[in-house]
Amino acid sequence: MRDPLTLTLSPEGRGKKKDDAMQFVLQLVFAGVCVGAVYALIAMGLSLTFWTTRTLNFGQGSLLMTASVATVAMLGAGMPAALAVPLGILLAGGLMVVAERIAIRPLLKSGDSMGWVVSTLGLGIFLQGFVSSVFGSQAIAFPSLVFDSLDSVDVAGVQVSSQYLAVLGLSLTLMVAMELFLRRSAWGRAVRAVSHDADAAALAGIPVRRVIVLSFVASGVLAGIAGVMVAQITGTVDPSFGFNLMVLGFVAAVFGGMGNTAGALVGGIALGVIEKLVGGYVSTAAEHGMAFAILMVILAIRPQGLFGRKEFTKV
Amino acid sequence: MRNLLSFLTRTPVVAALLVALGVAAEFVSGATVQIWSFLLVNVLLAQSINLLTGVAGQISLGHAGFLGIGAYGSALLMKNFGLPLPLTLLAGAAMGAFSGWLLSFAAGRVREFYLAMMTLGFGMIFYEVVREWTSVTGGMMGLSGVPSPGLRTLTLFGWSVGPTAYFQIMLAVVAGVVWLLRNFVTSPFGRAFFAIHVSEVAAGSIGVPRARTKRNAYMLSAALAGLAGGFYAHLVGYLGPETFGLHRSVEVLVMAVVGGLGTLAGPVLGAVVFTYLPEKLQIFAEYQFMVYGLILLLSFVLLPRGLAGLLLPRPRFAKDVAPLPAPPPAVPKPSGSGPLLSAEGVSISFLGLRALDNASVTVGAGEILGLVGPNGSGKSTLVNIISGIYRPGDGRVTFDGGAITGLPDHAVARRGALRTFQDPRLVPAFTVRENVLLGGHRLYRQNPLAAALNLPGALREDAAMLGRADAIIAMAGLSHLADTPVRDLPYGDQRMTELSRVILADPRLVMLDEPAAGLSEVELQRLGGLVRHLKERGVGVILIEHHMDFLNELVDRVVVLDSGRVIYQGGMAGMYRDPAVVAAYLGTETQPGEAVHA
Repeated sequence: MRDPLTLTLSPEGRGKKKDDAMQFVLQLVFAGVCVGAVYALIAMGLSLTFWTTRTLNFGQGSLLMTASVATVAMLGAGMPAALAVPLGILLAGGLMVVAERIAIRPLLKSGDSMGWVVSTLGLGIFLQGFVSSVFGSQAIAFPSLVFDSLDSVDVAGVQVSSQYLAVLGLSLTLMVAMELFLRRSAWGRAVRAVSHDADAAALAGIPVRRVIVLSFVASGVLAGIAGVMVAQITGTVDPSFGFNLMVLGFVAAVFGGMGNTAGALVGGIALGVIEKLVGGYVSTAAEHGMAFAILMVILAIRPQGLFGRKEFTKV
Repeated sequence: MRNLLSFLTRTPVVAALLVALGVAAEFVSGATVQIWSFLLVNVLLAQSINLLTGVAGQISLGHAGFLGIGAYGSALLMKNFGLPLPLTLLAGAAMGAFSGWLLSFAAGRVREFYLAMMTLGFGMIFYEVVREWTSVTGGMMGLSGVPSPGLRTLTLFGWSVGPTAYFQIMLAVVAGVVWLLRNFVTSPFGRAFFAIHVSEVAAGSIGVPRARTKRNAYMLSAALAGLAGGFYAHLVGYLGPETFGLHRSVEVLVMAVVGGLGTLAGPVLGAVVFTYLPEKLQIFAEYQFMVYGLILLLSFVLLPRGLAGLLLPRPRFAKDVAPLPAPPPAVPKPSGSGPLLSAEGVSISFLGLRALDNASVTVGAGEILGLVGPNGSGKSTLVNIISGIYRPGDGRVTFDGGAITGLPDHAVARRGALRTFQDPRLVPAFTVRENVLLGGHRLYRQNPLAAALNLPGALREDAAMLGRADAIIAMAGLSHLADTPVRDLPYGDQRMTELSRVILADPRLVMLDEPAAGLSEVELQRLGGLVRHLKERGVGVILIEHHMDFLNELVDRVVVLDSGRVIYQGGMAGMYRDPAVVAAYLGTETQPGEAVHA
């Protein structure tokens, strides 16, 4: 497993001698905020299916990887980016429908989570194997779509990569839009109703099946977008770059308690910043190990998340 | 096929096969011995994950971590410090066990997909550490020069160990380990693992401490994986981080799932299939990752019980011993004066709703107390507090002369206060007899080692417990069903099984939550008989029930709850005339002159 989000400091960043150290910290923090926003986006995708079915796709990372590799393949075949990117993202949405149909729905009856955890993991492994057998397991270059990787702007004296800035802006916009959609629209309210009590929602005339499928499509689309954005930052994609991202998205999701959007955003950004600081001052290799350690500590100390309320189980 | 395979699982046949394999290794090619050796490593690994995931129900997606800890531990101890093979193998297993012990503190706090994600994270941390800790593990370059039989660099007590001898040593160790595992899984400790797997609440209700039991499962499983790691390290002589990544964890899981989780033969079958397939089928080796993915994706739907479930008879979860005759039940002497159980001023709120409000109840030895009230009046909540599932916000519970307020459920059960649930909570794959044996958990005195070694003391205790269980099963009218798995039984029989399980525990106090619901007239008679039997033995009984005729025949006294408050205590006859009770069930009469709106 290669490290997908190693920080690439822009050459100008180390230029000014005087406040070198300050520049360095601020750049790390900024990069952390940006990748953290992507983690939050992945977390939101995981939350969507968690709301409607109390499940999440352990193959979400591979789905995200598949979307970005498919996008590269289409771009390579000469398709314009305006078409290839949406198609790649839609592919992730479509794969989620497949995941729901064959890996989750048949296994919900047993009431035991082991079945769907294993089957969605299987789907992820399958996708990873499939992509490596078609494209090989080497990293593939992902072209820059909007900004060049060396473009940067000056924000309050800190050199900031334009790509990072775009990723941050798009992630935040998407999360706000999703949250508004869930709070304001009829479909959003239906998702909340199904989340609260699927049987009662069905009695009230809400098409529960359709809401569930929709939530899976939306979850896949968010994963697909996250995949393309990560690929923009790293510049390459390879079949194994998704699994870490899925776990990192999950860390962001549990940080604030599963299903809590604001918590996921705070969690994602905190995780991103911690990772980058560890990467900058300790070793980039320790970045993800740190994130996994944080996951274990959060789950061990507060399984319901830092802001979450304990789930109440009736005996 | 089924007959052939079940013939192959008989102990003398297995022993003969093992000896034959050991002898045959002298005559086959080096490549064959190599594959056989890998097969043994895989058998150990598959047994390891099966113990944790299949038996104790704790999913593990990072099992390669335990394997790697044992492998690097054993290899480094021999390479850097020159420790002999037996010591490095033991140390590898011990390091595995220690890491399992550590992980269990975090993992014991979560379940379901949170646990899956945590174990995935554990595997990934291990991989990152091995990759980056170059000074110790060699990092991406790997660790080479581990003494190995293939290179003739492995020695044991001064003798050079070749590949064949190494295989024979492994064969003996793996056979011994699987034999110990079989004895352990069919012992009370193994049954406790299954109980935790199915329902932690039900396991607690019979005195199984969930945290400690899970911790033991992690330690044992990780020790086996660590041992497998040690064998692996010397077998190949080179260790690299890629061997211990996600791919390996998935492979281990595939072997156990395809073989059949929860059985001992299953992991062996799975290990055979997935050791030979990549060797014999080039196409499989090429698309291995995809095939593993497809298998995981489909196996729970297509083959939920694995190859073992398909090809082999149902495994047994109790030892094959001849039951000893049951001794006549002794009437226990109360250890304190006053009532057997008293709950005083108990209150509890859930999210602002007051479920119990200053409720007090007492039960004497040999007394049957009916607990009555409308739905939601707090009856089950009271039983949940007494049995230690909820901690009361206020109030005091004493049992048998000692305070039990706030004790965990398994500790309450160990003291002799046991309960049943509204919905019978049994282990579906167990037979009636095996489920009833679970009830004996608080009485067993054998230790895990004696159980795993089949020592005479442990076997004698098993035989005595079996005799008592059979006597209780007969009393409950279930003898003809004793060997039927409970998942095939109707509701009424499951209820009687659950009650029999409680009786085997030799309880002082029994709490039954709506035991009569859904029972036929004949079954009601038998249930009444069992409750009277408990009373004659001086057991206190709390009976939550809506079936008033059934209560009327049995109870000495009733307590009526409404909205969390005790509104009546006394005889059944008085209950019907009590204005508060009537109001609670039928509503208040409107007062003359009060306006009535249509």
